[in-house]
Amino acid sequence: MASDQELIIQFQESINREANFTALLKKHQQKVYYQIKRMVTDHADADDIAQLVWIKIWDKLDGFKMESEFSTWLFRIAYNETLNYLQKQRKHGASNSSSDLLDYENATASSDSPKSTEIQIGLERAISQLPEKQKVVFMLRYFDGFDYEKIASIVGTTIGGAKANYHQAVKKVEHFITQL
Amino acid sequence: MSQNKDMEKDMAFNNQDKIGNSLEQDRAWAESLLNKQNLSQLNASNTEVPIDYFESFPDKLMSSIEEQKREKLEKKKAKIFFLPSFIKPMNRWAVAAAFIILVGGSFIFLNSSVSKKTGASMLANNINIQDISIEEIETYVEANEWIAEIDVQAQIQKENAKLSSLDEKQIEEIQKIINQ
Repeated sequence: MASDQELIIQFQESINREANFTALLKKHQQKVYYQIKRMVTDHADADDIAQLVWIKIWDKLDGFKMESEFSTWLFRIAYNETLNYLQKQRKHGASNSSSDLLDYENATASSDSPKSTEIQIGLERAISQLPEKQKVVFMLRYFDGFDYEKIASIVGTTIGGAKANYHQAVKKVEHFITQL
Repeated sequence: MSQNKDMEKDMAFNNQDKIGNSLEQDRAWAESLLNKQNLSQLNASNTEVPIDYFESFPDKLMSSIEEQKREKLEKKKAKIFFLPSFIKPMNRWAVAAAFIILVGGSFIFLNSSVSKKTGASMLANNINIQDISIEEIETYVEANEWIAEIDVQAQIQKENAKLSSLDEKQIEEIQKIINQ
Protein backbone atom coordinates (compact mmCIF):
# COMPACT_ATOMS: atom_id res chain seq x y z
CA MET A 1 0.00 0.00 0.00
CA ALA A 2 1.39 3.39 -1.02
CA SER A 3 2.20 5.92 1.69
CA ASP A 4 0.39 9.24 2.04
CA GLN A 5 3.45 11.02 0.73
CA GLU A 6 3.66 8.88 -2.42
CA LEU A 7 -0.05 9.37 -3.13
CA ILE A 8 0.21 13.11 -2.64
CA ILE A 9 3.30 13.46 -4.87
CA GLN A 10 1.56 11.54 -7.65
CA PHE A 11 -1.56 13.65 -7.20
CA GLN A 12 0.49 16.84 -7.38
CA GLU A 13 2.26 15.59 -10.51
CA SER A 14 -1.16 14.97 -12.08
CA ILE A 15 -0.61 11.21 -12.33
CA ASN A 16 -3.99 9.48 -11.86
CA ARG A 17 -5.22 12.32 -9.70
CA GLU A 18 -8.62 10.80 -8.95
CA ALA A 19 -7.24 7.35 -8.17
CA ASN A 20 -4.59 8.73 -5.81
CA PHE A 21 -7.05 11.03 -4.13
CA THR A 22 -9.54 8.20 -3.67
CA ALA A 23 -6.80 6.07 -2.12
CA LEU A 24 -6.03 8.84 0.39
CA LEU A 25 -9.73 9.26 1.07
CA LYS A 26 -10.26 5.57 1.73
CA LYS A 27 -7.32 5.49 4.13
CA HIS A 28 -8.52 8.38 6.27
CA GLN A 29 -12.26 8.80 5.77
CA GLN A 30 -13.37 6.83 8.81
CA LYS A 31 -11.23 8.66 11.35
CA VAL A 32 -12.17 12.02 9.88
CA TYR A 33 -15.86 11.14 9.98
CA TYR A 34 -15.65 9.94 13.59
CA GLN A 35 -13.82 13.08 14.68
CA ILE A 36 -16.56 15.20 13.12
CA LYS A 37 -19.41 13.07 14.44
CA ARG A 38 -18.09 13.30 17.99
CA MET A 39 -18.43 17.05 17.72
CA VAL A 40 -21.82 17.29 15.99
CA THR A 41 -23.39 13.92 16.95
CA ASP A 42 -25.89 13.96 14.06
CA HIS A 43 -25.01 11.76 11.05
CA ALA A 44 -26.47 14.11 8.40
CA ASP A 45 -24.43 17.02 9.76
CA ALA A 46 -21.31 14.88 10.02
CA ASP A 47 -21.79 13.73 6.42
CA ASP A 48 -22.18 17.31 5.15
CA ILE A 49 -19.08 18.46 7.00
CA ALA A 50 -17.06 15.44 5.86
CA GLN A 51 -17.90 16.31 2.26
CA LEU A 52 -16.87 19.93 2.78
CA VAL A 53 -13.60 18.78 4.33
CA TRP A 54 -12.68 16.42 1.50
CA ILE A 55 -13.65 18.95 -1.19
CA LYS A 56 -11.33 21.41 0.54
CA ILE A 57 -8.58 18.79 0.60
CA TRP A 58 -9.07 18.23 -3.15
CA ASP A 59 -8.79 21.98 -3.78
CA LYS A 60 -5.75 22.54 -1.55
CA LEU A 61 -3.77 19.34 -1.98
CA ASP A 62 -1.69 20.79 -4.82
CA GLY A 63 -0.38 23.40 -2.40
CA PHE A 64 0.34 20.98 0.46
CA LYS A 65 4.09 21.18 1.15
CA MET A 66 4.35 18.16 3.44
CA GLU A 67 5.85 20.20 6.26
CA SER A 68 3.55 18.33 8.61
CA GLU A 69 1.96 14.89 8.43
CA PHE A 70 -0.93 14.72 5.98
CA SER A 71 -3.22 13.32 8.68
CA THR A 72 -2.46 16.25 11.02
CA TRP A 73 -3.29 18.72 8.27
CA LEU A 74 -6.44 16.77 7.41
CA PHE A 75 -7.69 16.61 11.01
CA ARG A 76 -6.96 20.29 11.50
CA ILE A 77 -9.10 21.15 8.46
CA ALA A 78 -11.83 18.83 9.74
CA TYR A 79 -11.70 20.48 13.19
CA ASN A 80 -11.90 23.99 11.74
CA GLU A 81 -14.67 23.12 9.29
CA THR A 82 -16.70 21.58 12.12
CA LEU A 83 -16.23 24.66 14.28
CA ASN A 84 -17.32 26.88 11.37
CA TYR A 85 -20.36 24.70 10.82
CA LEU A 86 -21.35 24.84 14.48
CA GLN A 87 -20.83 28.61 14.59
CA LYS A 88 -23.02 29.08 11.51
CA GLN A 89 -25.72 26.92 13.06
CA ARG A 90 -25.63 28.99 16.24
CA LYS A 91 -25.72 32.25 14.28
CA HIS A 92 -28.81 31.14 12.40
CA GLY A 93 -30.42 30.21 15.69
CA ALA A 94 -30.79 26.65 14.56
CA SER A 95 -29.20 25.40 17.70
CA ASN A 96 -28.44 26.40 21.27
CA SER A 97 -26.91 24.58 24.17
CA SER A 98 -30.17 23.00 25.33
CA SER A 99 -31.22 21.94 21.85
CA ASP A 100 -27.68 20.67 21.28
CA LEU A 101 -28.19 18.46 24.26
CA LEU A 102 -31.57 17.31 22.99
CA ASP A 103 -30.08 16.60 19.56
CA TYR A 104 -27.31 14.68 21.19
CA GLU A 105 -29.70 12.58 23.25
CA ASN A 106 -31.94 11.94 20.26
CA ALA A 107 -28.99 10.99 18.10
CA THR A 108 -27.59 8.62 20.65
CA ALA A 109 -31.00 7.27 21.67
CA SER A 110 -31.65 6.18 18.10
CA SER A 111 -28.58 3.99 18.16
CA ASP A 112 -28.73 0.34 19.09
CA SER A 113 -25.99 0.60 21.68
CA PRO A 114 -27.23 -0.23 25.18
CA LYS A 115 -27.59 2.57 27.70
CA SER A 116 -28.27 0.71 30.84
CA THR A 117 -27.23 3.14 33.50
CA GLU A 118 -27.86 6.73 34.42
CA ILE A 119 -24.12 7.21 34.49
CA GLN A 120 -23.92 6.28 30.84
CA ILE A 121 -26.51 8.90 29.91
CA GLY A 122 -24.86 11.37 32.27
CA LEU A 123 -21.49 10.77 30.66
CA GLU A 124 -22.88 11.50 27.22
CA ARG A 125 -24.60 14.64 28.43
CA ALA A 126 -21.50 15.81 30.23
CA ILE A 127 -19.29 15.33 27.19
CA SER A 128 -21.79 17.11 24.95
CA GLN A 129 -21.61 20.12 27.26
CA LEU A 130 -17.83 20.42 27.17
CA PRO A 131 -16.26 23.29 25.19
CA GLU A 132 -15.44 22.09 21.66
CA LYS A 133 -11.68 22.16 22.17
CA GLN A 134 -11.78 20.12 25.37
CA LYS A 135 -14.21 17.67 23.80
CA VAL A 136 -12.00 17.13 20.75
CA VAL A 137 -8.78 16.87 22.77
CA PHE A 138 -10.37 14.27 25.05
CA MET A 139 -11.74 12.24 22.12
CA LEU A 140 -8.50 12.38 20.11
CA ARG A 141 -6.42 11.35 23.11
CA TYR A 142 -8.66 8.76 24.69
CA PHE A 143 -10.30 7.12 21.66
CA ASP A 144 -7.81 7.76 18.83
CA GLY A 145 -4.69 7.60 20.99
CA PHE A 146 -3.02 10.59 19.32
CA ASP A 147 0.06 12.08 20.99
CA TYR A 148 -0.23 15.56 22.46
CA GLU A 149 2.01 17.10 19.80
CA LYS A 150 -0.37 16.04 17.06
CA ILE A 151 -3.44 17.03 19.08
CA ALA A 152 -1.89 20.45 19.73
CA SER A 153 -1.31 20.96 15.99
CA ILE A 154 -4.87 19.94 15.18
CA VAL A 155 -6.62 22.22 17.65
CA GLY A 156 -4.07 25.03 17.40
CA THR A 157 -2.57 25.08 20.87
CA THR A 158 0.64 24.10 22.66
CA ILE A 159 1.41 20.63 23.96
CA GLY A 160 0.84 21.90 27.51
CA GLY A 161 -2.44 23.44 26.44
CA ALA A 162 -3.56 20.12 24.99
CA LYS A 163 -2.66 18.30 28.20
CA ALA A 164 -4.56 20.90 30.20
CA ASN A 165 -7.60 20.48 27.97
CA TYR A 166 -7.54 16.70 28.48
CA HIS A 167 -7.24 17.10 32.23
CA GLN A 168 -10.03 19.68 32.43
CA ALA A 169 -12.31 17.60 30.20
CA VAL A 170 -12.00 14.51 32.39
CA LYS A 171 -12.39 16.52 35.59
CA LYS A 172 -15.48 18.37 34.33
CA VAL A 173 -17.15 15.15 33.18
CA GLU A 174 -16.35 13.46 36.49
CA HIS A 175 -17.77 16.44 38.37
CA PHE A 176 -20.95 16.31 36.29
CA ILE A 177 -21.39 12.57 36.89
CA THR A 178 -20.86 12.77 40.65
CA GLN A 179 -23.63 15.39 40.85
CA LEU A 180 -26.17 12.97 39.38
CA MET B 1 -2.43 36.77 25.79
CA SER B 2 -3.40 33.26 24.73
CA GLN B 3 0.32 32.37 24.47
CA ASN B 4 0.81 33.44 28.12
CA LYS B 5 -2.22 31.46 29.18
CA ASP B 6 -0.90 28.42 27.36
CA MET B 7 2.50 28.84 29.02
CA GLU B 8 0.85 29.00 32.43
CA LYS B 9 -1.05 25.84 31.60
CA ASP B 10 2.22 24.28 30.46
CA MET B 11 3.79 24.97 33.81
CA ALA B 12 0.78 23.79 35.73
CA PHE B 13 0.32 20.50 33.94
CA ASN B 14 3.78 19.45 32.81
CA ASN B 15 4.61 18.57 36.40
CA GLN B 16 1.38 16.77 36.95
CA ASP B 17 1.90 13.05 37.30
CA LYS B 18 -1.48 12.10 35.96
CA ILE B 19 -1.27 13.66 32.49
CA GLY B 20 1.01 13.22 29.52
CA ASN B 21 3.38 10.48 30.61
CA SER B 22 1.93 7.81 28.40
CA LEU B 23 -1.28 7.08 26.55
CA GLU B 24 -1.98 4.09 28.79
CA GLN B 25 -1.67 6.22 31.91
CA ASP B 26 -3.92 8.93 30.49
CA ARG B 27 -6.53 6.35 29.55
CA ALA B 28 -6.30 4.60 32.90
CA TRP B 29 -6.75 7.87 34.75
CA ALA B 30 -9.85 8.77 32.69
CA GLU B 31 -11.28 5.26 33.15
CA SER B 32 -10.76 5.40 36.89
CA LEU B 33 -12.93 8.51 37.04
CA LEU B 34 -15.42 7.90 34.24
CA ASN B 35 -15.80 4.12 34.04
CA LYS B 36 -14.23 2.15 31.20
CA GLN B 37 -17.46 0.44 30.13
CA ASN B 38 -19.33 3.73 29.83
CA LEU B 39 -16.53 5.18 27.78
CA SER B 40 -16.49 2.25 25.40
CA GLN B 41 -20.28 2.49 24.99
CA LEU B 42 -19.92 6.17 24.23
CA ASN B 43 -17.39 5.33 21.54
CA ALA B 44 -19.72 2.72 20.10
CA SER B 45 -22.57 5.20 19.71
CA ASN B 46 -20.25 7.79 18.16
CA THR B 47 -18.90 5.38 15.59
CA GLU B 48 -22.22 4.17 14.28
CA VAL B 49 -22.90 4.86 10.61
CA PRO B 50 -25.58 3.77 8.13
CA ILE B 51 -24.82 0.53 6.26
CA ASP B 52 -22.38 0.94 3.35
CA TYR B 53 -21.83 4.59 4.20
CA PHE B 54 -18.04 4.42 3.87
CA GLU B 55 -18.27 2.28 0.72
CA SER B 56 -20.51 4.77 -1.06
CA PHE B 57 -18.87 7.94 0.27
CA PRO B 58 -15.94 8.13 -2.25
CA ASP B 59 -18.28 7.94 -5.28
CA LYS B 60 -20.63 10.50 -3.78
CA LEU B 61 -17.74 12.82 -3.04
CA MET B 62 -16.14 12.49 -6.46
CA SER B 63 -19.44 13.31 -8.16
CA SER B 64 -19.80 16.46 -6.00
CA ILE B 65 -16.24 17.44 -6.92
CA GLU B 66 -17.09 16.94 -10.61
CA GLU B 67 -20.21 19.04 -10.20
CA GLN B 68 -18.22 21.77 -8.51
CA LYS B 69 -15.69 21.73 -11.36
CA ARG B 70 -18.50 22.10 -13.91
CA GLU B 71 -20.03 24.99 -11.98
CA LYS B 72 -16.65 26.74 -11.85
CA LEU B 73 -16.22 26.31 -15.61
CA GLU B 74 -19.71 27.69 -16.28
CA LYS B 75 -19.01 30.66 -14.05
CA LYS B 76 -15.81 31.33 -15.96
CA LYS B 77 -17.66 31.18 -19.29
CA ALA B 78 -20.45 33.55 -18.34
CA LYS B 79 -18.88 36.59 -16.76
CA ILE B 80 -21.50 38.97 -15.48
CA PHE B 81 -20.51 42.37 -14.19
CA PHE B 82 -22.47 43.62 -11.26
CA LEU B 83 -22.40 47.03 -9.68
CA PRO B 84 -20.54 46.90 -6.37
CA SER B 85 -22.59 45.55 -3.47
CA PHE B 86 -22.39 48.82 -1.52
CA ILE B 87 -24.63 50.41 -4.17
CA LYS B 88 -28.15 49.73 -2.92
CA PRO B 89 -31.01 49.12 -5.41
CA MET B 90 -32.25 52.72 -5.11
CA ASN B 91 -28.74 54.07 -5.59
CA ARG B 92 -28.34 51.97 -8.72
CA TRP B 93 -31.07 54.01 -10.40
CA ALA B 94 -29.30 57.18 -9.31
CA VAL B 95 -26.03 55.90 -10.78
CA ALA B 96 -27.78 55.02 -14.05
CA ALA B 97 -29.47 58.46 -14.22
CA ALA B 98 -26.17 60.21 -13.49
CA PHE B 99 -24.52 58.24 -16.29
CA ILE B 100 -27.24 59.22 -18.79
CA ILE B 101 -27.02 62.88 -17.75
CA LEU B 102 -23.24 62.80 -18.10
CA VAL B 103 -23.35 61.30 -21.61
CA GLY B 104 -26.26 63.48 -22.77
CA GLY B 105 -24.72 66.64 -21.28
CA SER B 106 -21.37 66.07 -22.88
CA PHE B 107 -23.06 65.44 -26.27
CA ILE B 108 -25.00 68.73 -26.08
CA PHE B 109 -21.94 70.64 -24.90
CA LEU B 110 -19.75 69.30 -27.70
CA ASN B 111 -22.40 70.07 -30.34
CA SER B 112 -22.85 73.66 -29.22
CA SER B 113 -19.11 74.27 -29.19
CA VAL B 114 -18.85 72.92 -32.77
CA SER B 115 -21.67 75.19 -34.05
CA LYS B 116 -20.06 78.16 -32.32
CA LYS B 117 -16.80 77.37 -34.08
CA THR B 118 -18.57 77.13 -37.49
CA GLY B 119 -20.31 80.48 -36.96
CA ALA B 120 -17.04 82.09 -36.02
CA SER B 121 -15.30 80.79 -39.11
CA MET B 122 -18.17 82.07 -41.35
CA LEU B 123 -17.86 85.47 -39.80
CA ALA B 124 -14.16 85.36 -40.46
CA ASN B 125 -14.88 84.46 -44.14
CA ASN B 126 -17.24 87.46 -44.59
CA ILE B 127 -14.59 89.82 -43.42
CA ASN B 128 -12.12 88.27 -45.83
CA ILE B 129 -14.45 88.78 -48.85
CA GLN B 130 -14.84 92.45 -48.05
CA ASP B 131 -11.13 92.80 -47.72
CA ILE B 132 -10.43 91.40 -51.21
CA SER B 133 -9.50 94.08 -53.69
CA ILE B 134 -11.24 94.50 -57.11
CA GLU B 135 -8.01 93.71 -58.90
CA GLU B 136 -7.80 90.43 -57.19
CA ILE B 137 -11.38 89.60 -58.10
CA GLU B 138 -10.79 90.51 -61.76
CA THR B 139 -7.68 88.34 -61.89
CA TYR B 140 -9.71 85.48 -60.43
CA VAL B 141 -12.51 85.93 -63.02
CA GLU B 142 -10.04 86.09 -65.91
CA ALA B 143 -8.30 82.99 -64.75
CA ASN B 144 -11.58 81.14 -64.46
CA GLU B 145 -13.25 82.61 -67.59
CA TRP B 146 -12.61 79.57 -69.75
CA ILE B 147 -14.50 77.43 -67.25
CA ALA B 148 -17.54 79.67 -67.62
CA GLU B 149 -17.15 79.53 -71.40
CA ILE B 150 -17.20 75.78 -71.38
CA ASP B 151 -20.38 75.92 -69.34
CA VAL B 152 -22.02 78.23 -71.90
CA GLN B 153 -20.95 76.04 -74.81
CA ALA B 154 -22.35 72.99 -73.11
CA GLN B 155 -25.65 74.76 -72.56
CA ILE B 156 -25.85 75.79 -76.26
CA GLN B 157 -25.16 72.25 -77.38
CA LYS B 158 -27.94 71.03 -75.18
CA GLU B 159 -30.37 73.52 -76.66
CA ASN B 160 -29.31 72.63 -80.21
CA ALA B 161 -29.88 69.01 -79.50
CA LYS B 162 -33.38 69.82 -78.34
CA LEU B 163 -34.11 71.82 -81.53
CA SER B 164 -32.80 69.10 -83.82
CA SER B 165 -35.11 66.64 -82.22
CA LEU B 166 -38.19 68.77 -83.17
CA ASP B 167 -40.25 67.81 -86.19
CA GLU B 168 -41.46 70.27 -88.86
CA LYS B 169 -44.87 70.90 -87.31
CA GLN B 170 -43.33 71.83 -84.02
CA ILE B 171 -40.89 74.20 -85.73
CA GLU B 172 -43.75 75.90 -87.55
CA GLU B 173 -45.69 76.35 -84.35
CA ILE B 174 -42.67 77.90 -82.66
CA GLN B 175 -42.14 80.26 -85.62
CA LYS B 176 -45.81 81.33 -85.43
CA ILE B 177 -45.42 82.12 -81.75
CA ILE B 178 -42.26 84.15 -82.43
CA ASN B 179 -43.98 86.08 -85.24
CA GLN B 180 -46.97 86.91 -83.12
